[in-house]
Amino acid sequence: MSPEAPGHIEIREQRDQVEKDILTSMKKPSLLFLACLGFTVALATVLLACWGYQIKTGLIVSGKNHPVGWYMYITSFVFWVGIAHSGTLISAILYLLRAGFRKSFNRSAEAMTVFSLMVAGMFPLIHLGRIWLFYWLMPYPNQRQIWVNFRSPLIWDVFAVGTYFTVSLIFFYVGMIPDLAIVRRCSDGFKKRIYSVLSLGWLGTPSQWRHYNQLYLLLASLATPLVLSVHSVVSWDFAMSIVPGWHTTIFAPYFVAGAIFSGTAMVILLVIPMRRMLSLEKYISVDDFENIAKILLFTSLIVTYSYIVEFCLAFYSGNIFEETVYKYRVLGDFKIMFWIMIFGNSILPLTLFIRKLRRNLPYLFVTSIFVIIGMWFERFVIIVTSLARDFDPYNWGIPNLSIIAIGIVLGSFGLFFMMFLLFVKLFPVLSITELKEKLE
Amino acid sequence: MKKHIIPIILLGYFGLLFLLLIGLETYWYLYEKPQSQPIAFSHQIHVLKMTLPCDLCHMYATKSISAGIPSVSKCMDCHRAIATDKPEIKKILKYWQNRKPIPWVRIHSLPDFVYFSHKRHLKMGIDCSECHGDVKAMATIRKVRSLKMGWCITCHKSRSAPTDCLTCHK
Amino acid sequence: MHRRDFLKIMGVASSSTLMTSCDLEKQSEKLIPYLLPPEEEIIPGQSIYYNTTCTECPACCGVSVKDREKVYNNMRGRYPVKLEGIPGHPVNDGTLCIRGQASLTRLYHPDRIKKPKLRDSKGNFIDIDWSNAYSQILDALRESNNGGYKNIYLSGRTTGSLSDLIDDFCKRTGIERAAEFEVYSHSAIKEANGILFSKREIPLYQIDKADYLLTIGADILETFISPVSNAVRLSHAKRKSDFKWFHIEPHVSLTGFQACEKFTINPGTEVYLLDFLLKNMLNMKLYKKRLPEEVVKYIPDFSQEEVSSKTGLKLASLYQIADQFKKAKMPLLIAGGISTRHSYGLETAVLTGLIQWITGMTDSVIDFSRAENYSGVGTMVQMEKLSNRLSNNEIGVIFIARTDPSKSIPVSYFFKENIKKAKLRIGLSDLLTGTIKECDIILPLSHTFESWGDANPRSGLKTLIQPALEPLFKTLSEGDILLHLLKGDLKDLPFRNFQEYLFKKWNENYGKALTEEFLKKGYYEESVPKKEIRLDNKSAVAFLKNIKTLDRIAKPVLVVTPSIRSFDGRSSVLPLLNEIPDPLTTISYGQWVSVPPKTAKSLMLSDGDEVEISAPGLSARLPVKVQPGLPEDTFAIHPEMLSTQVFQADKRSGEGVCYLDKIKIIKTGASVSIPVLSGSMSQKGRGIVPNPVNKKREYDRGWNNMYPEHKHKDYRWAMAVDLELCIACSACVAACYIENNVPVVGKRHHLMGLEMSWLRVEPFFNGHGKCNFVLMLCQHCDYAPCEPVCPVFASYHNPEGLNIQLYNRCVGTRYCSNNCPYKVRRFNWFDSQWPEPLDRMLNPDISVRTKGVMEKCTFCVQRIREAHDTAKDESRKIRDQEVVTACAQTCPTNAIVFGNILDKKSQVYKLAHSERVYRIFEPLGTEPSVYYLRKKGDKNES
Repeated sequence: MSPEAPGHIEIREQRDQVEKDILTSMKKPSLLFLACLGFTVALATVLLACWGYQIKTGLIVSGKNHPVGWYMYITSFVFWVGIAHSGTLISAILYLLRAGFRKSFNRSAEAMTVFSLMVAGMFPLIHLGRIWLFYWLMPYPNQRQIWVNFRSPLIWDVFAVGTYFTVSLIFFYVGMIPDLAIVRRCSDGFKKRIYSVLSLGWLGTPSQWRHYNQLYLLLASLATPLVLSVHSVVSWDFAMSIVPGWHTTIFAPYFVAGAIFSGTAMVILLVIPMRRMLSLEKYISVDDFENIAKILLFTSLIVTYSYIVEFCLAFYSGNIFEETVYKYRVLGDFKIMFWIMIFGNSILPLTLFIRKLRRNLPYLFVTSIFVIIGMWFERFVIIVTSLARDFDPYNWGIPNLSIIAIGIVLGSFGLFFMMFLLFVKLFPVLSITELKEKLE
Repeated sequence: MKKHIIPIILLGYFGLLFLLLIGLETYWYLYEKPQSQPIAFSHQIHVLKMTLPCDLCHMYATKSISAGIPSVSKCMDCHRAIATDKPEIKKILKYWQNRKPIPWVRIHSLPDFVYFSHKRHLKMGIDCSECHGDVKAMATIRKVRSLKMGWCITCHKSRSAPTDCLTCHK
Repeated sequence: MHRRDFLKIMGVASSSTLMTSCDLEKQSEKLIPYLLPPEEEIIPGQSIYYNTTCTECPACCGVSVKDREKVYNNMRGRYPVKLEGIPGHPVNDGTLCIRGQASLTRLYHPDRIKKPKLRDSKGNFIDIDWSNAYSQILDALRESNNGGYKNIYLSGRTTGSLSDLIDDFCKRTGIERAAEFEVYSHSAIKEANGILFSKREIPLYQIDKADYLLTIGADILETFISPVSNAVRLSHAKRKSDFKWFHIEPHVSLTGFQACEKFTINPGTEVYLLDFLLKNMLNMKLYKKRLPEEVVKYIPDFSQEEVSSKTGLKLASLYQIADQFKKAKMPLLIAGGISTRHSYGLETAVLTGLIQWITGMTDSVIDFSRAENYSGVGTMVQMEKLSNRLSNNEIGVIFIARTDPSKSIPVSYFFKENIKKAKLRIGLSDLLTGTIKECDIILPLSHTFESWGDANPRSGLKTLIQPALEPLFKTLSEGDILLHLLKGDLKDLPFRNFQEYLFKKWNENYGKALTEEFLKKGYYEESVPKKEIRLDNKSAVAFLKNIKTLDRIAKPVLVVTPSIRSFDGRSSVLPLLNEIPDPLTTISYGQWVSVPPKTAKSLMLSDGDEVEISAPGLSARLPVKVQPGLPEDTFAIHPEMLSTQVFQADKRSGEGVCYLDKIKIIKTGASVSIPVLSGSMSQKGRGIVPNPVNKKREYDRGWNNMYPEHKHKDYRWAMAVDLELCIACSACVAACYIENNVPVVGKRHHLMGLEMSWLRVEPFFNGHGKCNFVLMLCQHCDYAPCEPVCPVFASYHNPEGLNIQLYNRCVGTRYCSNNCPYKVRRFNWFDSQWPEPLDRMLNPDISVRTKGVMEKCTFCVQRIREAHDTAKDESRKIRDQEVVTACAQTCPTNAIVFGNILDKKSQVYKLAHSERVYRIFEPLGTEPSVYYLRKKGDKNES
């Protein structure tokens, strides 16, 4: 078709408009932005400080004890790995399903995946007794002539999370290449240099596009099974043990659903303020939010279902150990956490059946905050209560409150948001090319 | 901006290098620096020249896990008479008169979670030199084998000695 | 360059986290030779044993001290690392109690007095040297003699040559030797035997010969005269099929829970019970010796209803107790301990004596010829006299040796105040105890393991005390001090030190050959002529005449009960004994008062609530521990937890009264955190002590292991714990701590739930006022849940069936601990400390764990390794009982048996195939290697 056609002209204008809008979001940061950045950086430094102190004095400062050997760190590990999932879900699965509203979220969702995996990967190390020997967890030929124990779910974790991180990083980056090329075009000087390196000499020739689309499709289909596999493996850390309350078969699907649930909430949590700050209302419509809210609602229902099943299994089994643990969860020392979790994960999301509320962004925002908290506590309750009430009553006990542990957990949030804020300023937060495609 | 970037990179690069060097230096000083023995004892003279058997001084090698280091009086037994004029020998005398043991520097040391029995290895007919090297040729004793786990394992495997972790770890 | 080295470099370079934590083996390690070659038999790297005597309590058990050579501040020396009983020793036969094991921490106690001290004008202590101390003392003695004052030598129970030397010393220097002071003087029993048989002695109770044991108040397994000996004998008795043991006491004690039947009696009413028993026997003609009429006449007469109402025992139980005497061929009645420590203790003891006599026990199971040597031990009354004399300024110089009366005698004596009136107070002690703090000159005593001596626990038995190491500090043994003082006094002393004094004595008494044997065996037993026991009618009648009807001790009552951990409070200073929890309450550190559940409910008290206990002459604030099984309105407390443990003295027997009645208990509202180590006092029906035991033991796991099964060629180490014999005395726990360098972490960490014990005693109370104890240690499962989850093979299954934890491989994920159903794995949350000189106690055969590492019971793998070594030398297999774990070795009742279960002739194999056997949480399919044998006649639910 010839470019003189009037229709085309306006489309071109629109395209330029899209570019402008998205790229302006990468211009000079606002004061509010800097403030947020500063705050998150501060939190991140808290994490480092606490961690350093813990390594120096030993894990006594982490509040763990006998019998509760796993506490906030593993909780956070599972939590952050979970967060990662919806990123892949949105960008990969919705891509394969050709879901329209995907384009408003995929970039930030992918970024979120990468960052949350970074944070998640940190926690198993934090929780190690002798972190300076972490490399013994990797299978590599060594003079000691000893290998790792492939029967241990922890080793499976190393592989699962490792793979997941690599794939989602590549997926994230590849998705960005055409946009980076655009940024390169619109920037100059040193920045141009950097972006030109990053965009790997992208020219947008048809052949490049053809290969690109093939690759993207391939990666998407590669990433999709990971959504299921990774968190299943993580859940086996618990399911493979014999601890009452951990040793159950529904953990894999249960955890995966929970993961997507929390991740979706996190996406909403990130995108709503981003949309305001970078004034992208034009591109991220309320309908998109309604769609993603539906995902939230759906996964919430699955999670609630698993809660019910879990309890039924425990009491139907007639196993005294199981019964004790589940009674303890509801009525024991951690009942507050349990009920917060029930409220945040099962009750509050039900309100999203109402269309009005689905389309009410502040409400959505608040809800997802509750979901995040609820999901963190879900993992906490599962891990701690089971250990606190296991087989031999003589050993029953509860862990100690620990400032250091709390500092590290909060710090991890700081680190995560810090990375996301930087991303917002350094990369196009929406897929420009896809938005353009939509204009045709 | 652009013209500053090159010096910044260079500075960073060399700065790091410098830091690494300091690190190396400190490390060497702390852990690798060869310690000088309080007395310049020579196995060469005692074993090669005098043809003394190892277990004359290291008398517990065949009896116990530790080979044993000769007591100061043991040194004196001979050196009351022999080579008393030599400065190094005089040092022994000083230690002996002050009733002070000689603070030899340990060369062949194993971490404390390792169990090693001289007795067992000698009973299996393994020669001292297989782990300690050709000591009789050494003027000053030094470590010739790494004494690292891999090295032990290799030998154990080659002789089909037990390789259960517990054999060597306590 | 090596990867590891590279890490080190990075560690140093970026002086960051790595620096603080990298475990770098330093090159500048020194290699220290001996100055002189050691004696022939001593080989570096191998243990040597010295036979000596334990002096932690007056029982005088024989211990062989295990020495290892180590280097400290650039000197090679030999240091004790472990204590074990002397096999075949007449008292303890190769075993030790919890206090005996822990007495090693007294030797290495960080607060030991290191130099002689003198109180200066300002009242604080300054270090002086010995010669100075001697001259000061001698001058003071001369002065006070000139001033016409009396001088006193007060000591704890002293036997053997030291006692003779003290007498000699006192004679020569004009000092009056006061009666030895012991809180548990058992003087009521002595007095009673004096009245009935004109023998003021404590006989030897041969529990092992009895087939019916009735103990009234006597805590035979905790502190009563010679607890270890009692436990050993009891275990022999229990091995007989028809053995019955009833225990009667006014509170709950560890001993009580071990008896077949336990009855609770109202405090101070034992007399009624005994009277009932005596009458019953006379009526039923159940006696071997006929009681003279005039005596019978004066035996007080109570109706059985009265007895029942006073004692609070049901008629049924009264007859149950009495009828056993009919069934029994060889009955043994022991009344003592708590039941003689009240104002009717003497009556109790006398009636007991009568029963013992008429039933002929005094000729069979009760042996007066080998009476316990308590002749020198005085009474509370004598202490009162002494205190009065002090207050009238009669006393010039007073020596106080190895005893701490001020904390143990009634406050009303004002001993602490009066002692200040003496002109000069000289304390001989190893630690600064309450009384010693009041002294002007303090002479530091060497520990028994640092000094020569001998002891004479009972007639016909002499035990050796010999040094196992050079004194750690500038201390001397009491004998040496006295000899030095004498030297100052008279020049013609024929020996330079106490050692020579002893050797001279021994050679005179036994001659060369026997002395040699004595030095080798560590004890010497000579046959003693049998003593004829005759009843002294007159004095018996005289006494019985004026037994009045007694008013009982009114509830609510406070009972000071002896503690298995602190004896009469003296051992509470030992760090290890505070770390190991009290078996009944599982409280480790601090103080508490045990409150019966009923009373707790009515006062609305729960664990940790602080209460104020008030009574005339006492007011104390203590946290509460609700103690199942404790009778209503009875509050139990351990000696070290009050300002005094004796409230007044019984004038006639001189026994201290440890009951305080009509007390007031008020809830203060404050709450104190007490380290209760047990998470639950009940086993919540989990069958840890199953009842009735599940006969069908072979569980079909219903699945086949995915992984290849473990193959065990020659050895598969296993353990059997007989809960019938186990008396929960926690001796094994103490032994384990010391053998395996298990760190003592302290109260703060116990409150956080970070205790490190590898072996623990778990008490589980049930509704029926019974308590089941179970030893919990690593079960060395065949399908150990901890093994597959470890990512680095730090936990793995070795060819001999051991479940190994490799400390240097562990990275500290704590997954293994989470997955262990027995929760016997301990994590090093920080680098544990051994304050000087406790670090000398560390066992060199096993490494000290660093922070961030998991540790647990290894079945004393170092001992297994040693056995392998000797077996290889003799090119044979390890024999049964050649490997004995530390816990099994010290067990007084031999309830723990360790061995190779593949060997069909081994003891452990036999036990593992007895019909009483079960394993804990068997349905989990972990296939533990620790087999438990449940109690014989235990009918109640768990």
